[in-house]
Amino acid sequence: MTAPSIKLQNVSLNMAGNQILDDVTCTLEAGRLHVLIGPNGAGKTSLLKTMLGLFPHQGNIGRAWPGKPVPAAYIPQQPRFDTVLPVTVRDYLIGCLSNRSLIFKPTKQQLKMIAPLLETVGLAGKEHLQLGKLSGGERQRLMFAQALSLNSPLWFLDEPTTGLDTQGIEFFTDFLARLKEEQKTLIMVHHDMEFVKSWADNILIIDGGLKSAGTPDEVFSGRTRQEAPVWTH
Amino acid sequence: MDALRSWVFALEQQGMLPEMFQYAFLTNALVAALIIGPLLGGMGSLVVIKRLAFFSEAVGHAALTGIAIGILLGEPPAHPIASLFSFCLIFALLLHWIKSRTAVPYDALVGVFLAVAIAMGAALLLYVARMVNIHILENVLFGSILTVQDQDLLILGVIGLVCTAAALLFGNKALIATLNPELAQVRGINIKLYDYVFIVFIALITVAAVKIAGAILVGAMLLIPATAARLVTTEVRSFFWLNVGISTACCLLGVLLPMWFELPIPSGAAIVLLAAICFVCSVSFNRIVGLT
Repeated sequence: MTAPSIKLQNVSLNMAGNQILDDVTCTLEAGRLHVLIGPNGAGKTSLLKTMLGLFPHQGNIGRAWPGKPVPAAYIPQQPRFDTVLPVTVRDYLIGCLSNRSLIFKPTKQQLKMIAPLLETVGLAGKEHLQLGKLSGGERQRLMFAQALSLNSPLWFLDEPTTGLDTQGIEFFTDFLARLKEEQKTLIMVHHDMEFVKSWADNILIIDGGLKSAGTPDEVFSGRTRQEAPVWTH
Repeated sequence: MDALRSWVFALEQQGMLPEMFQYAFLTNALVAALIIGPLLGGMGSLVVIKRLAFFSEAVGHAALTGIAIGILLGEPPAHPIASLFSFCLIFALLLHWIKSRTAVPYDALVGVFLAVAIAMGAALLLYVARMVNIHILENVLFGSILTVQDQDLLILGVIGLVCTAAALLFGNKALIATLNPELAQVRGINIKLYDYVFIVFIALITVAAVKIAGAILVGAMLLIPATAARLVTTEVRSFFWLNVGISTACCLLGVLLPMWFELPIPSGAAIVLLAAICFVCSVSFNRIVGLT
């Protein structure tokens, strides 16, 4: 297995005087799907972004890589783009993958690099669409394509099914099954308890800090490692 | 440059070029336009995508203060290069530095800086106006093809080379960082560094273009061609090249047409008016074709 584990030690996050997270300590094992759940404003996304290194924090966050460290793949929450932005799906993916300037005609090699990504996420034939004209589901697929391009064993997913229709959710679950099969370390924020019950290997209940953690069976039967969840969805 | 000027003069003498090419300053101005046009166009593409048009306007206006400070410090009134570049760079970097340390919306912050730049510029320029020929100030405000010297062309050339090299090497990363900064950061792109380098480039290009476009109008040249090009293109490559084409054509024609028709119009005004015509054409084309 090449996926890393992540160890958080006394991680706290304070933004503009507000304590968002307090003293989070836990280990996220390699090759498993860890889902962060909790009420709105509990700090789930903040914890995810803190683990990604996007927020300055107190405490330690370590990634234990069995091999050479690589950048993590990240699916942000529904990105928005200016509707008249003259940037296409193809431009965006080539920009992510290649340093050869986009002001030149794409090379065959560049097109070859993005073709399987587009195929995998179901955007083949839509590479000439402008980013701002993509539907919510298509934008999410584009995010999956850019994440896939990193070929990373570590994935962070922030509410990946928000705004998706039935077909989009089906695509996502197939995709997730593939990632799990490949034993990637997956850290996800999700709000759908039915989904979490079926898919999570480990659940972390966040509400200003780590309230409890355990397998779906443990969490939903109240036998968590710390304390039972105190809210219902 | 001497060889180029002599060659152009010889062509004019042989009747192959119109009479106006007998003036060496026109050759200088055209070379400057040929450098500054693509630069303004290329950089304008990212300025529009990053929504920094208002910022470049503020830096252009800061040039007024920079020039006044230069004159006060004893620099040549027509070429206060050191003060102009220093003040505009400090102004741009300070603005960006404060932006990252305050919750004030960026447009409001730029508005404050723009107002301060104009106020300081007006106060200092009126003060130094007693010390210099008033036409020098006119040239600074609205641009003049008469004032471009070899030293300016050298500075323009160096800035052009540095900006082009940076854009070719790091343009894709800069674009990705603009479209989604968090995602770019996770991918290992140092977005703060990219932001600051971009700000420095805008400041340098803006200041370098002041001679031709004028402090009041230089910001418009980063904005109008890019906005026009954006309306009729759907992908990065065509957007960039159309923007460069419009900007370069406007800069060249803005220098040539007033001389050709013997109109007393400053080059900056002519360039911006031509760009505005392109913008109107783009809007009309966009309405007819319904492209974006």
